[in-house]
Amino acid sequence: MLFNSIEFLLFFPIVTLLFFLLPHNYRWMHLLVASCIFYMFFIPQYIFILFTTIIIDYLAAIWIEKSDEIKKKRYLIISIISTCLVLFVFKYFDFFNHNMLALSHRFDFYYPEKMIQFILPIGLSFHTFQSLSYVIEVYRGNQRAEKHFGIYSLYVMFYPQLVTGPIERPQNLLVQLRQEKPFQYSNLIEGLRLVLFGLFLKMVIADNLGVYVDQIYSKPESFSSLSILNGLLFYSFQIYCDFFGYSSIAIGCAKAMGYNLMDNFRNPYLSSSIGEFWHRWHISLSTWFRDYVYLSLGGSRVKIHRWAINILVVFILSGLWHGANWTFVIWGLTHGVLLIVEGLVNRVFKTQKDKGQNTIRKIFNTIKTFVIVSFTWVLFRATDFTQVKLIVKSLIRNISVSDDFSVDPKIWLFLLFFITLDSVLLNNRFDVWCNKRHLTFRWSLYIAMILMIIVFSNVDNFPFIYFQF
Amino acid sequence: MIPKSFYYKIGVIVIVLICMNYLYKYTYYEKDIQTHSEVINGVRKVVKDSCEVVYVGESSNTNCREDDIDKRSISAFIGDYYPTLRVGDITKPAAHAEIFYLLLKNIPESSAVKTVIVTLNLRSFDANWIYSSLEPQIQKYAVFLRGYPPLVGRFLLAFKGYDNRSEAELEKMYKHEWKTIELKVPFPLKNKTVKEWDRAMFHEGMKNPDGSKNYKLTELACHYIKTYAFQIDTVKNPRIKDFDNIVMLARERNWNLIFNFMAENTEKAQELIGDELIFLIKQNRDLLVKRYHRNGVLVVDNLECVPNNQYTDTTWTTEHYAERGRKIVARNVADSLKRFYPNHFF
Repeated sequence: MLFNSIEFLLFFPIVTLLFFLLPHNYRWMHLLVASCIFYMFFIPQYIFILFTTIIIDYLAAIWIEKSDEIKKKRYLIISIISTCLVLFVFKYFDFFNHNMLALSHRFDFYYPEKMIQFILPIGLSFHTFQSLSYVIEVYRGNQRAEKHFGIYSLYVMFYPQLVTGPIERPQNLLVQLRQEKPFQYSNLIEGLRLVLFGLFLKMVIADNLGVYVDQIYSKPESFSSLSILNGLLFYSFQIYCDFFGYSSIAIGCAKAMGYNLMDNFRNPYLSSSIGEFWHRWHISLSTWFRDYVYLSLGGSRVKIHRWAINILVVFILSGLWHGANWTFVIWGLTHGVLLIVEGLVNRVFKTQKDKGQNTIRKIFNTIKTFVIVSFTWVLFRATDFTQVKLIVKSLIRNISVSDDFSVDPKIWLFLLFFITLDSVLLNNRFDVWCNKRHLTFRWSLYIAMILMIIVFSNVDNFPFIYFQF
Repeated sequence: MIPKSFYYKIGVIVIVLICMNYLYKYTYYEKDIQTHSEVINGVRKVVKDSCEVVYVGESSNTNCREDDIDKRSISAFIGDYYPTLRVGDITKPAAHAEIFYLLLKNIPESSAVKTVIVTLNLRSFDANWIYSSLEPQIQKYAVFLRGYPPLVGRFLLAFKGYDNRSEAELEKMYKHEWKTIELKVPFPLKNKTVKEWDRAMFHEGMKNPDGSKNYKLTELACHYIKTYAFQIDTVKNPRIKDFDNIVMLARERNWNLIFNFMAENTEKAQELIGDELIFLIKQNRDLLVKRYHRNGVLVVDNLECVPNNQYTDTTWTTEHYAERGRKIVARNVADSLKRFYPNHFF
């Protein structure tokens, strides 16, 4: 079920209302059924894949808790391998085969041509990581194994964040799922605010920008450099608003029932360095990689070359997590390299300390970071390297080309409105920020947003970008 | 607990939404209509031109062949027979009876319309059309035709409040019908379902004079099977309901109603597949003609009246006719119109 669909507009209030009407003991069941219905709106039979992961990790965690050190590790490895195997089969198998086939042609060895061509179960990467975080935390002793299969299933399947996160940790969500959540008017209102904000981001900003981005990426060679730059700028905001929008709706839906999910974005485009960007962009994924991969590899408390390797490993994996395509891998690698260069420059010139003190430098660095990030999005958006090359080539060569690319002035106004709002929010979440505003202002904002969602949203089908991961 | 102010706020939102509805109606509504439901212009035109006879159809009305001398539409040819009457048309390619019904509903009761001629396309009863990949697009432009308050219409468009099934889902639906629905005929049929029949045709294939397989003809034959091998279920088929709605609407409005049963290339169907398929086509035709005759509709049966050489598409099944084909259909409709306008026929 899509958040921006009529079905969801009916589903959400019904589920929330029933949640509060039911006694606490039955709520997990209600939410689990609701989550199954939510998931089965896409491809119903894929729920079995989800339950395979759930069963594997549920049992593994219980065995890990009961076992001694050696067995514990064995169970953890079995759990990680089997969970990742599901991910591999559905997401990476064809990619792997395709590359093996290319290698076989290059080095002249036999490799059978077998592609599965499954449709990727929606949100597979997200719930796989959420499930893994639970097993690892149990292994580390930070979390007790959940004996209640229903509650554990709900932890993986909790509908607001089932398909594109935020990727939760058991210490946060699993604990809350056991707590009794009384109805609180403030939670409901804050939740609804976030849902409204998220819908606005997705339907008014992201989807409207998407039309122009698609236009540019479909035939970059026929557009001028300026139009392509425009397209790159629009994509930066499209992907941000698309994903931020989804996360806000997810957090808002959970909040309405009293559950607090972790924030996923904190003004990423106001970052003054790539390092800072990754502290502000897709926080639940960045911290996942930090906690379970980067720190496990030794983090930064190792020799400099080892640290660089750690960074590269994390970012290549992060790229691969996003999609089974070399463009994603190179996108991740590029960010990794940029982060290493940034780290080295900071070490040599010790610029970290005085960064916050110089406003002009901060503004310059913020713009620089935004430009770099926007350019790297080309690797993320392009379907293959041919398209990347075409974009870059057209960007350089088409300076004097004239085209018919024109942007509706309304789009610029929406973008300006969003940039202003995003800057004003500055490290605050929309719901909390609204609390501090005057009633008249707040309501004017709500009404403006509702009106814009209904009247100016794009009516074409633009699925959430992160659904594909 | 929910404070009292919450209910006041809900009240404020409702009032604001009503105001927004008017604001929208007088600002962006018309622009949205032109973007998403421009077919309404056809309705506006027939009303504005005070047309007495309205022809409602899809691409079969206007499609022509390059070598046609007179490239005008079927409705225009009908108009030629009644120079004293104003004959207008509302044409929307790929539309079906549900859209025709909505379009007709949008004609104000105060208009000059007295007679409505509606295209009755046999293929539109087929699973392949009912679950066509074009359907979500059709349903999208139908939203503004359904008569909701403007803001509600825009809201439904924004939140995809229409049948917005994906191409894959739709494909699954018609393939399911092809696989599961058994064809019941009073003679032995080797292949019980469309899927079996299609597969058998694909394997057997159409042959060239030298005995080799003619892939193009085989593909066309398979297509004929998938298009025409069905039996209308009057309870489940959505088109029946749509045509029934049109009949009801015509009664309410006191319109003369004519269903123009479009010609299908039965000659080609006979040549490629044979009697079994022709039986099914005619069985469906008989069912529809009888059903709507019973309901007081004048059904013009054109099924077999256009010869093979008058079909513009030779690699696909369509109701696109060349000039003579369009004229034949127009003549038949014009003849039946005599019943309502005996003194105007020229």
